[in-house]
Amino acid sequence: MLEFILRRLFQGVLVVFGVTATVFVVTRLVGDPVALMLPLSSTEAQRAAFAQQIGLDQPIATQFLRFVGDIATLDFGNSLWQRRPAIEVVFERLPNTLLLIAVGLGAAVMLSIPMGAVSALRPGGLVDRLTMSVGLLGLAMPQFWLGLVAIMIFAVTLRWLPTSGMGTAAHLVLPALTLALTPLARFTMMVRASMIDELNKPYVKTARAKGLGLTRILRVHTLRNILVPFLSISGWELIATLSGYTVVVETVLAWPGLGLTAVQAIQRGDLFLMQAIVFVIAFLIVLIGIVLDILSKAVDPRMELN
Amino acid sequence: MRKIQRLSAGALMLLASTLACSPAWAQSITIAIGSEPSTLDPQLRDDGGERQVNDNIYETLMARTPTGELVPDLAAQPPKQIDATTWQFKLRDGVKFHNGEPFNADAVVASVSRVIDPANNSEQMAYFGTIKAAEKVDDLTVNLMTTGPDPILPSRMYWMKMIAPGYAKDGDLAGAPVGTGPYKFDSWNRGTDLKLVANADYWGGEPEIDDVTYRFVTEPGTRLSGLLSGEFDVITNLLPEFTTNVPKFAAVPGLETSVFVLGTDNEVTKDPKVREALNLAIDRKAMVEGLFMGYATIAKGSHINPAAFGFNEKLEHYPYDIEKARALIKEAGAEGKPLVVVGESGRWLKDREQIEAVAGYWAETGLNVTTDIQEFSQYLDSLMGDGPRPDAIFIANSNELLDADREMSFIYHKDGAAASNSDAEMATMIEAARVETDTAKRKAFYDDIQKKGHDLNYTVPLFNLQDIYGMSERMEWQPRVDAKLMVSEMKVTE
Repeated sequence: MLEFILRRLFQGVLVVFGVTATVFVVTRLVGDPVALMLPLSSTEAQRAAFAQQIGLDQPIATQFLRFVGDIATLDFGNSLWQRRPAIEVVFERLPNTLLLIAVGLGAAVMLSIPMGAVSALRPGGLVDRLTMSVGLLGLAMPQFWLGLVAIMIFAVTLRWLPTSGMGTAAHLVLPALTLALTPLARFTMMVRASMIDELNKPYVKTARAKGLGLTRILRVHTLRNILVPFLSISGWELIATLSGYTVVVETVLAWPGLGLTAVQAIQRGDLFLMQAIVFVIAFLIVLIGIVLDILSKAVDPRMELN
Repeated sequence: MRKIQRLSAGALMLLASTLACSPAWAQSITIAIGSEPSTLDPQLRDDGGERQVNDNIYETLMARTPTGELVPDLAAQPPKQIDATTWQFKLRDGVKFHNGEPFNADAVVASVSRVIDPANNSEQMAYFGTIKAAEKVDDLTVNLMTTGPDPILPSRMYWMKMIAPGYAKDGDLAGAPVGTGPYKFDSWNRGTDLKLVANADYWGGEPEIDDVTYRFVTEPGTRLSGLLSGEFDVITNLLPEFTTNVPKFAAVPGLETSVFVLGTDNEVTKDPKVREALNLAIDRKAMVEGLFMGYATIAKGSHINPAAFGFNEKLEHYPYDIEKARALIKEAGAEGKPLVVVGESGRWLKDREQIEAVAGYWAETGLNVTTDIQEFSQYLDSLMGDGPRPDAIFIANSNELLDADREMSFIYHKDGAAASNSDAEMATMIEAARVETDTAKRKAFYDDIQKKGHDLNYTVPLFNLQDIYGMSERMEWQPRVDAKLMVSEMKVTE
């Protein structure tokens, strides 16, 4: 197990380094931050002074070495937009995103297991068809649209909830709901499919023949067996949420998290803030991957690293 | 019966005394703006979100009326020009900053010195580059010295916010601003909102609205929803197609003029006939109706803002005459020749739509037109970089100083950052106008420059765009020509 963890950690370090190099190259390819940051009417001298100030006049290799060194100390430079350390902005917004993900994905996990299990017990029944319809809808609808529809219904028409922003628990409901629906659909379908698969296996039939109650079979045997695929799909969903869904949901609902900040950083061509956000998100994704692998290995020791 | 009378009298007295004792209605409003300020330091950045907030906290020596006329503000009267490079300002007496510091000549000297100090690398130097120094004459008199004759100096002082010298040294200008204005900073929840409260000691009288909360909402659709749900009282940049959905809206001619700058040395566009054809080929009226639902006006023959000093009101807009345009292209022998239209998308109101519509009109003249919608940074390089000039490049040009020099220098002067001509005579005229301190002569220069630009079709001016705001039913406000959101000019009816 220790060797497994060490190998997984080593792979993680390699991935983080790869991401660092990619971020560096991409952010220098997308455009000239000097032209983006200064007003249209700025002079050549002002542009040169600014380039020097942010170190863009150095050779590319020097810039990269400095970049790697700075990252090791979590120094991503000052956000051009906010004029304070980029990492400070990231650490200020990250908890908001994590809170949103915890509530949204948490709700999706909690709801999907009973919904999937109940559907699986009677495939094709009314509950199953209803669950599948909601699931398909959740998968088919883009989140920005879902967010806008949720705003129209719950905030504009019914006036139950605020349209946007962060502050009270009520502010959390719409973004969490919007964020939860796609993962909820995916989880529910996955639980349903795995459950149907499991329930048709001989050991369930044997157990039932022996007179064991269905609830006990589900609790003791079946749910444990679907735990590994569930863990892995939750991990993927968590990664997808962190790296994508939050951007859309936070922008539409003005939730001041890392996703919205990423959009603003891109709009303002804030090279340093973009680097810090991408790096922190990549780091978190790698970390989640490692934790999931270790957890899966703990649940199912037959698992190997590829 | 007497009992009832007594009871009613008592009830009336109680009501009257309650009304007499209760304070005036506390009026709070919420304004949704598209971007969060990056800092609240009023002097270092050139940032829309910062200005929307700080315009209410800070004041300037000169101000503008809602229609754009330059008037004294913290200056007691319009400045006097002492010699070609010195302007004298007399200051308003008895004004205090929110922290109790007096506003006086020292505050003006400190404010000017801080902005122009190269160590501060202020992005606003684009506005203040001509200012050399400020000098105290007495407590309420200041002289401003410029590097050369600078007739725009009074306009520049409309842009420069006055800071408290003591607070600038020890306080937190970036996070908790202190000015002389009608509103005081209260709190800032980064990422979410920012609150200002009325300054009861304001020299111009306490404003009517007690407090204002700014909410930062990037998405126009979300701002609209917030307005419809009653959360917001004012939203900025309402899309024209939503004006029928909101409780109230107000539109006013804004600072932006959309224009194509033509590469007058390029193979096809160097021929004045081709440039004229490009101006004649566009049905601007149809575009105003179709794209802007009427919330834009056709630019009158130049890209100078009509509210700016120097605007030539005698010019007429180019008519729509596709037949003549085709004939001119034929005459120039340009049929089938390539013309590349460069632009960007998503930065300005309906930018891509304007670019594509115009490219469509141009294609009808017989030219072989292609559009090149670029990523914004790449676009800025095309606009201002050292590479070859595009045949035609789109700009939504704005003029915060409301003086023609800004647009002339930027687009018409051959060395201007966005200019595509090599007309030395035009450049000489602009340089002469820039240092001319006689107002009438300067206006005459600008009239001539615009006439020349118009006759030679150096640019293809499209529209003076309007700023549209959505408002709640209870708001009463007439937006300003300079797009400032002055809360002291707003009213709430309940």
